[in-house]
Amino acid sequence: MSEGPATASGPTAPAIEGIKLSRAFGGVQALAGASFSARRGEVHALVGENGAGKSTLIKILGGRLRADAGEVRLAGGTVELDSPDAAHRHGVWTVFQELTLLPWMTVAENLLIRREPRGAFRLIDRARMAKEADAVLAGLGIHNIDPRGLVEDLSLAQQQIVEIVRVIVQDPDILLLDEPTSSLGENEVEWLFGLIRDLSSRNKCIIFTSHRWKEITDVADRITIFRNGGELGTFTEIDENRAVTLMTGQQVDALYPERPALEAARPLLEARALNGPGVSGVSLTLRRGEILGVGGLAGHGHRELFFSLFGAAPTTGGEILVNESKVRISNPHDAIGLGIALVPEDRKTEGLILPMSVGTNLTLAILPQLSALGVIRGGHEGRAALNMVGKLKIRTPGLRNPVHQLSGGNQQKVLLARWLLADSHIVLLYDVTRGVDVATKHEIYELMTSLAREGRAVLFYSSDAEELAHLSHRVLVMREGRIAAELAAPGITAEDIVSAAVREATSIVG
Amino acid sequence: MSAEAAIERRRTRRLTHFLAQNVGLVLALAMLVMAVVLYGAAYWIEQTALPGMFELTSTVNNTMALVLCGMGQAFVVVTRGLDLSVGGVMDLANALAAVHIKDSVGSMVGWSLAILAIGALLGLVNGLLVAVGRLQPILVTLATLSIYQGLAIRVLPQPGGSIPPVYSSVLVNPNWPTALVYVLVVALIWYAFRRSSLGVSIFALGNDEQAARANGIDTVRAQIAAFTLSGLMSAAAGLFLAATATAGDATTGNGFTLSSIVAVVLGGMNLFGGRGSGVGVIAGAFVTTMIVNILFFSNIDPLYQSFYEGLFLVIAVVLGALISRLMRRRSR
Amino acid sequence: MTGQFTRRGALGLGAAGLISAGAAGGVLLSPRLASAAPDKKFKIALSNSFIGNKWRIEMENVFKAALQMEPFKSEVEGSWFNSGNDVSKQSQQISNLIAKKVDAIVVNAASPTGLNGILTQATERGIVVVSFDNVVTAPSVLKVNTDQVAFGKQLAEFLVKKMNGKGNVIMVTGVAGTTVDEDRNKGAEAVWAQHPDIKVVNRYTGMWDSATAERNTAAILPSLPQIDGIWCQGGTDGVLKAFISAKRPLPPTAGEAENGFRKFMLGYMDHKVDGLSIGQPPFLSVISLELARRILANKYPKKDITIPFPFVTNDTVKQGETVFEKLPDSFFTDFTDAGPNATVKLCVEAATDGKACSGELNVNLPSA
Repeated sequence: MSEGPATASGPTAPAIEGIKLSRAFGGVQALAGASFSARRGEVHALVGENGAGKSTLIKILGGRLRADAGEVRLAGGTVELDSPDAAHRHGVWTVFQELTLLPWMTVAENLLIRREPRGAFRLIDRARMAKEADAVLAGLGIHNIDPRGLVEDLSLAQQQIVEIVRVIVQDPDILLLDEPTSSLGENEVEWLFGLIRDLSSRNKCIIFTSHRWKEITDVADRITIFRNGGELGTFTEIDENRAVTLMTGQQVDALYPERPALEAARPLLEARALNGPGVSGVSLTLRRGEILGVGGLAGHGHRELFFSLFGAAPTTGGEILVNESKVRISNPHDAIGLGIALVPEDRKTEGLILPMSVGTNLTLAILPQLSALGVIRGGHEGRAALNMVGKLKIRTPGLRNPVHQLSGGNQQKVLLARWLLADSHIVLLYDVTRGVDVATKHEIYELMTSLAREGRAVLFYSSDAEELAHLSHRVLVMREGRIAAELAAPGITAEDIVSAAVREATSIVG
Repeated sequence: MSAEAAIERRRTRRLTHFLAQNVGLVLALAMLVMAVVLYGAAYWIEQTALPGMFELTSTVNNTMALVLCGMGQAFVVVTRGLDLSVGGVMDLANALAAVHIKDSVGSMVGWSLAILAIGALLGLVNGLLVAVGRLQPILVTLATLSIYQGLAIRVLPQPGGSIPPVYSSVLVNPNWPTALVYVLVVALIWYAFRRSSLGVSIFALGNDEQAARANGIDTVRAQIAAFTLSGLMSAAAGLFLAATATAGDATTGNGFTLSSIVAVVLGGMNLFGGRGSGVGVIAGAFVTTMIVNILFFSNIDPLYQSFYEGLFLVIAVVLGALISRLMRRRSR
Repeated sequence: MTGQFTRRGALGLGAAGLISAGAAGGVLLSPRLASAAPDKKFKIALSNSFIGNKWRIEMENVFKAALQMEPFKSEVEGSWFNSGNDVSKQSQQISNLIAKKVDAIVVNAASPTGLNGILTQATERGIVVVSFDNVVTAPSVLKVNTDQVAFGKQLAEFLVKKMNGKGNVIMVTGVAGTTVDEDRNKGAEAVWAQHPDIKVVNRYTGMWDSATAERNTAAILPSLPQIDGIWCQGGTDGVLKAFISAKRPLPPTAGEAENGFRKFMLGYMDHKVDGLSIGQPPFLSVISLELARRILANKYPKKDITIPFPFVTNDTVKQGETVFEKLPDSFFTDFTDAGPNATVKLCVEAATDGKACSGELNVNLPSA
């Protein structure tokens, strides 16, 4: 490769540049000659559907992956970032999408790994390490994370914060964040954006990816849109519909479909004074054809509520009614039998069997119906599954491909489709759109409304208040395990939900 | 909330953190205390006296080999591996010691160091095959176990040779429990290991290999180092075995592959890697000896002895798992 | 606690003093202690390594039987322990026996050298230690065993006589790498060397196991010429069964003490073999027990004992005494010696169930 143009170097040069970067995985071209540049003092958002190449680009810039072709320049000079360490030496630090924390080590050990304070005989001084970690966390306004605790015991949001802090304390010149907000609540997102604004005011360069449009417009100075492994352009001002159209390559009229009309129907699912770990005295009624939203800050009992309705978390008191009669749900098997389905947010650990095929995952819940004398009848499995793939527009090369080859949004759809196949009429959706790209989100929204229209009932938690406000007939806001407020459509706004949630609430940061 | 209350809360939290993070260690120590009490009771009933200096000495001397190879095994278990060649390395060390160590300071020191180096080398071979060759630890060490055993038989085809009495009395003095010093040394080795970069790397590898690499840790080097340490410790175990026997036998190390795993499990280490304490393994090694003692003095029909040993193990492991689950739940 | 330790410490010092006195006074230490309390029984313990085969079970059974018979019944308080082939465990058990202050330890060791340390400690504390079968090399430990070289020799000489010094023999050897196997082969080879007309046409292992010996013999037999003699260390009945299956005549056979072999010597399933049957006697444990008892009673010097092999030929083999039609082929029938000069005579119940035989148990140790 020839030398770059001389005019590009010097203080006016971009802080970081990727020039005609390509990278393939197997037969898939994840990045196809994409170029990108960001300046000092700027917050730069990368947007695009899942699989558009954003994460690959970040990994290459962060030294975690090598490009097949193209080059990376820092302040105009070509550099060889062949390892995260090499990137770190150049002041480039990354918060990767998948967590890189060590679960059975303490927060302090994770924060200070490979930079541990040493005491006598050059041995690590653990007491000092905890104190330093304490100081770091407190300095960044984090009070609810104990540096002596194990990472394994932290919530996902807390882990994400530790991951971010770990990079922030390195005082990066160029900070790359791959979907840093996907598991954060509103407060934590605000905290993170405070940090980002502070860095940019100190002339650092911040590059991040997100699927939440509001966040992007809140904090980003410029936006680069990606599709199919290439960049489509960089914008300082662009409206959401135009951006979505660019990202998906198709016209999207409105992100949120219209709510189905709600008739006075009988309750399908009721909870009365439900108690359990994290849940105290929750009562709710879910009717046929209704989309009932549940909102609030992360860690306030939503997860426990959803999982106990599905029999996957213990309850200590209260009762559950299905079709107006009392039922006992002590495990997911009971719940499935009663027509209750749960789609959790953590697809990898709580729903799908990743190495198994799309077809098998789809039909897992209806195996008894599909099998004769305990032997699965292959033909039936295939037909039922194939229908669903078409209906939900699941993008898979075939039913026999393992699920882990699919993108996150499509994995989520496989899980949804599984329950539709099982003919569940009570569908519990727990933060299903987290980390899912806009186009797929849109499809999931349409699916939700069509479920309601068919007369099924949807109970739906989301960490995205916009979503709740646009899709739900009613929204229950949870705080410290209780229902703190109930809002009814029309006229629900995201601001209402957030303010109901944060009233007197404590959060990880602040 | 007052400042004192905050400090108090912090302190109790620190204690629960310690307990929750070291369930295995705490349980192993509790088990050891229980075993010693049971042994004392059985001994009292049989002898109307309490165990004294001789019992302490012989228990420590007989357990030293297991303490050492158990610790070696622990290094590998932390990485989520298993080292089945422990017994083979011990056999070879034992055989070499019996054949070569002569009654002079030079020979004793020189050959001891040489044997330790050979042990480390054998461990290094395991480590290279596993880390660089990307092979399953169990397969690799199962194969090298046979190879090392074969080498040991070549060195000492028939049980024999001899260990200078001075050497024996320095390592395992029959009259005084001086070997306790070595137990302390092994515990200190673990303490330092846990607070070294190598320790961090090996533990990080056992936590999550991908994450460790993302943190810039050289996981290949960490894995090789773990196996090398295991070989080194096993060779030391072989030396102690020869010293206790006062002579060599190229097959007496064989049983230690399994015993070392038992010690690791009783010591509360997690076989899935990343968690556990070597101090617990030391306790685990002593518990296995205590089980022999307890059964001996409780006049159990020798034909059912291994049945009871197995029963004891199962109960210990199941109880341990239950308690640790409970403790972790409460600490959350 | 402290008080206890002090008391035990004092005891230890006392014992050390006695030991040094004993060392000066020779072998008389223990008997002196014993005679001080004449109504006290001698505590004698058997420490066995593994208990996984018939021979070891019989060995332990006859030991238990002997303890229930006079003079042992009134003079000895016996116990027995198994450790498996785990040297550390056996070593720890022996430590416990020392702690228990037994007067004597009878040991079948997991390793010839692995227990030397702890057994030397036992003898230093005035405990009589007798090792048998798998004996240990520690010099202060007494050994009771048979002469394995003589075993090989005796078998070979029998064949030479039956074959008139001429013909083809096969050698079925034992577990390679063990001293016993090597010694037995050595004994045989010494005899062959003196008789050049005897030809060893094949030599293979039977692993001291009837099934293995039968399998290996069956595999090799088609390639062999006429066989005039079988020299077999163990698994003899298996070798003969392979000959019968191959429809070969049974040549004179010198082998171990399997019940199945001796059945053929009586004439079994219409096949009769001219044989010599010798075995490692399981009653080595009883001989060792007797040696320990006599030394403790000050009636015998501290010395190693080599006992002659109990053997039977077609002339002496006798149903109900040295061969048992109702017992399995794998049973070792040499649990007892036979003849007027027998070392020890035991009944079959002693070997199968560890039950006492009627009458007193006389053990004829070689004259002192």
